[in-house]
Amino acid sequence: MKRSQTFFAAGTLFIAGIFSAAQAAELVVWHAYRGAEKSAFEKVAKLYETKMASKGIKVTTLAIPYDAYADKISASVPRGKGPDVFIYAQDRLGGWIESGKTVEPIGFYMDDATRKQFLPGMLDAMTYKGTVYGLPLNYKSITLIYNKALVKKPPKTSTELVNLAKKLTNAESGRYGLVYWYTNFYFHAALMNAFGGHVFDKDGKLVLDSPETIASIKQMMKWYKQDGIMPTEPSEALVSSMFNEGKAAMVFNGPWFIGEISPSVDYGLAVLPVIDEAGKKPMRPWLTIEGAYVSASSKQKELAYDFAKFLTSEEAGLILALEGRQLHTNATIYKDKRVSGDVVLKAFHDQLSSAEPMPNRAEMTMMWSPATTAMNKVVKGNATPEAALKEASDAIQESINALRKGR
Amino acid sequence: MNFAEHLKRSAVLGLAISILITLALSTWMFRAEESDLRLQHRQRLAVMHANALALAVANTNVEETGKRVSDIQKLDPRIESVIIVGGMQLVASTRAEDAAPRQLGREEKALFDLSDQIRTARETNRGEDVVRKKTVQIEEKTIGHIVVTVPYLSDGQFAGILQMKFNTTGPDVSGADIFSPAPDSYTLPALLFLAALLAGSLFRMSTERKVDFTKLLALGVFLLIALFFQQQRLERLERTVTQANQAIAANYLAAAQQYDRLGYLALPRDNSSVNLWDTDHYQRPLGLIAADGSVSAKTQAAYFDKRSGFLKRILGAIDLLGAAVLLMFLYGYAARTFAALKEHADAYTYVAPAMIGMLVLVFFPFAYGITLSFTDTTLFNEFLPFQDRLIGWANFKAILGDVNLYERTAGGIIWNYQNFYWTLLVTVAWTISNVTIGVTVGFLLAMALNTEGLRGKAIYRVLLILPWAIPNYITALVWRGMFHPQFGVINQVLQMFGMQPVAWFDGVFSSFFTGVATNGWLSFPFMMVVILGALQSIPKDMYEAAEVEGADRWQRLRYITLPLLRPTLIPAIVLSVVWTFNMFNIIFLVSGGEPGGANEILITKAYKIAFENYQYAYAAAYSTVIFMILLVYGIFQTRITKATESF
Repeated sequence: MKRSQTFFAAGTLFIAGIFSAAQAAELVVWHAYRGAEKSAFEKVAKLYETKMASKGIKVTTLAIPYDAYADKISASVPRGKGPDVFIYAQDRLGGWIESGKTVEPIGFYMDDATRKQFLPGMLDAMTYKGTVYGLPLNYKSITLIYNKALVKKPPKTSTELVNLAKKLTNAESGRYGLVYWYTNFYFHAALMNAFGGHVFDKDGKLVLDSPETIASIKQMMKWYKQDGIMPTEPSEALVSSMFNEGKAAMVFNGPWFIGEISPSVDYGLAVLPVIDEAGKKPMRPWLTIEGAYVSASSKQKELAYDFAKFLTSEEAGLILALEGRQLHTNATIYKDKRVSGDVVLKAFHDQLSSAEPMPNRAEMTMMWSPATTAMNKVVKGNATPEAALKEASDAIQESINALRKGR
Repeated sequence: MNFAEHLKRSAVLGLAISILITLALSTWMFRAEESDLRLQHRQRLAVMHANALALAVANTNVEETGKRVSDIQKLDPRIESVIIVGGMQLVASTRAEDAAPRQLGREEKALFDLSDQIRTARETNRGEDVVRKKTVQIEEKTIGHIVVTVPYLSDGQFAGILQMKFNTTGPDVSGADIFSPAPDSYTLPALLFLAALLAGSLFRMSTERKVDFTKLLALGVFLLIALFFQQQRLERLERTVTQANQAIAANYLAAAQQYDRLGYLALPRDNSSVNLWDTDHYQRPLGLIAADGSVSAKTQAAYFDKRSGFLKRILGAIDLLGAAVLLMFLYGYAARTFAALKEHADAYTYVAPAMIGMLVLVFFPFAYGITLSFTDTTLFNEFLPFQDRLIGWANFKAILGDVNLYERTAGGIIWNYQNFYWTLLVTVAWTISNVTIGVTVGFLLAMALNTEGLRGKAIYRVLLILPWAIPNYITALVWRGMFHPQFGVINQVLQMFGMQPVAWFDGVFSSFFTGVATNGWLSFPFMMVVILGALQSIPKDMYEAAEVEGADRWQRLRYITLPLLRPTLIPAIVLSVVWTFNMFNIIFLVSGGEPGGANEILITKAYKIAFENYQYAYAAAYSTVIFMILLVYGIFQTRITKATESF
């Protein structure tokens, strides 16, 4: 009895000793990757460990289920727990910064070489009110994906698009020339940006009901109603099932869609067309950019930053792009033959020249629901674009005012 | 000891305990308020000096900035050190080892970040036309040694930050010792208490009458003591506030004269111009001291009223609590509780772990939610102290008081789908229709399954329970797909029979129907299982006896089956109503509240308010209202049916 107690005590001490020794140089990284992305990411982490072997640094990566991820960060980091580095898209950044004690500003650490290594626009997504909060890792945007059996040459302009799509549309048999989730504001943003519309202006004022945005919705309605080249009630599931059945000739969709395309469909990718009605401006989809953030509660921020910087290096970028199939933000990797030779990676990289980061303001979450309602109202003919957007802006403005209370 | 004796003793005990509780809590509150006042006083002094220096170095070049900073620091021994940071540069410092100006070192990241944070705060306050971000940062690691950071400007533009270490432990310029009050006087309370005992011993406490002299006397003495004590302390607090403000004014005048003499900042001679030194943490002038250093009694009184408003409300609550404790003793509840605790000590020990668990896991979050609902907490202000967020009943007024349910226009009535009462109406309709469908379908199927000699009963039973066994997320998404206007199976079937396809999620009623259909599918198996169990427990001989007496099928159903189902069915319905009322998944996943939020139920609405609009407190108030509705329903239901008796 006595002896077992002693053993127990010794064991506890031993474990505690290991724990505290490991803690001194352990970097905890949270991500939400699965499959190939996860293994590529873990490979990069291992690579960093070997590079830093002389300092005895251990990198522990932890995959957190995506739907619980953001809440877990919001709950643990401000209370001094959680990872040293975490990875997430820019859409929650504003909220985390406003609530404070979550994301560490890293502008101080950044040198010019690091600032310049990124593709254009990437760092903007990680910048909130002039302060840099993260290093961009990879980006996603939509582009034009077409069925090669139906479309020989992808359209360059909206006029070409409509002409081609009209030929390929047969509403009776459920075939459409163009299918995308046009009632979802994320997808619509490409058209809105082509016309020069915005959700917020640069001072943070809501400008959703601007004439430019109204014009973009009218353009979408022209495709849907007058030209009749798009089906009713689109959704993510509808887009993929129609494309896989060969009933959709062209879709606007992102890299996540590639995995859903059935092997029987021979697909091609192209840059989104230029909108003739918007003065020949290209469609500019929103970029969602994943960044690596240094946690505000980290005890080793400089080391954490160094790891984040390594993730954005060319060496790590090649692994993440080629093995993890990610669109990495490091500009130099796109000069590599293996990357530029990859049809998918190249196509999304081409789209990047006309794309812009989705706003990272905290108020963005209030936009989605009213904006979706407005889009549905317009599509169903219950309201004019002007009235629907006015109503949506009023509702969003009211929510924003409730949030931004003076002291 | 007879009962009257006992009662009298508990009156004395009650009076003593309630006075003790009230005085202790009040003293605690005043102590907290005074220490808060002391803290604010120290910080106000430090902020004033930092603001002054920041104004003095605005628009000067680097050398001049360094000179002015060191001049001022040397004049006032309370200013321990000053540094000025602009971007990556340490512009000026009074510490010799800093060798300013120079680049910031690696370990000085915090300064860079602080500068950036204050710049952003200024820009946010300007860009949004509301002041919500602090532009003055204060840190006090050891009491009296305050580090205050303020922005400094150049040509009206943000140029960086000025950080001052200020020592408030030394002698004050005004020489007044404000914060060492006289000890509390408990003489009068003690005298009153003894007098009450004397008076009380002359009378007998009556057991029959609800109100008699002794009880009234006890209550009167309690109130007298409590209010007297609180009033005395409030007056003392007001004196302290006044003196503190006068001390700040004296400090201001002394410092302003120094700046004037050095020619850095001119001292304004008229009391109408605004004092820009004495500001709050958002750099808004407090307006308590005029620019020439004079103090107005009127603004001070107004300031104290505003300041003590919260405290007075808390004191009122403490008085109420004390009175409640006293009443508990006077009417014997305390004695009975105590007796019960003593008698069943073992039992209470056994349930203690469970009670602690409930306390931590259920009652604490619940109380937290209710408290939150009286604030205006949002994502942007959740870091503020609780007192600053407290807004009382405003959330409830906004929810319940908004009766803008519909609008009459030339084109007919337009319903306001965002209105609480619309959502409540939808929720009630949703609950009633779902429970009705669940019970009816469940009852019919249970009756069918209960048929004697039915073949393959086990197979049917398994098949019919399946909808319940599949996770409801999956069922909800499957149904959503089935309702797709173009490709959903339901419209395909309609078209097969030559009907027009329906755009399910476009209309208020059709969209409502999608939810009801899905939830009906999900809820009938539970009802069926419950009813089947109850049916099988009805003794066969009752039916046989009824048959012998000549009762037909309908009569057997009406007079045997239904009455015997009642005790099982009613709790099941009560439960099912509560579940359905808060059935989040189905609404959220199937119709998503479409069109335009018209089919939102209360709980999905609360979710959207909290996690899309970040109005945490408003969502908490919404949830509290939901709870109150269900509570009233529960009480009502129990009263009507005496459902609990059957358990």
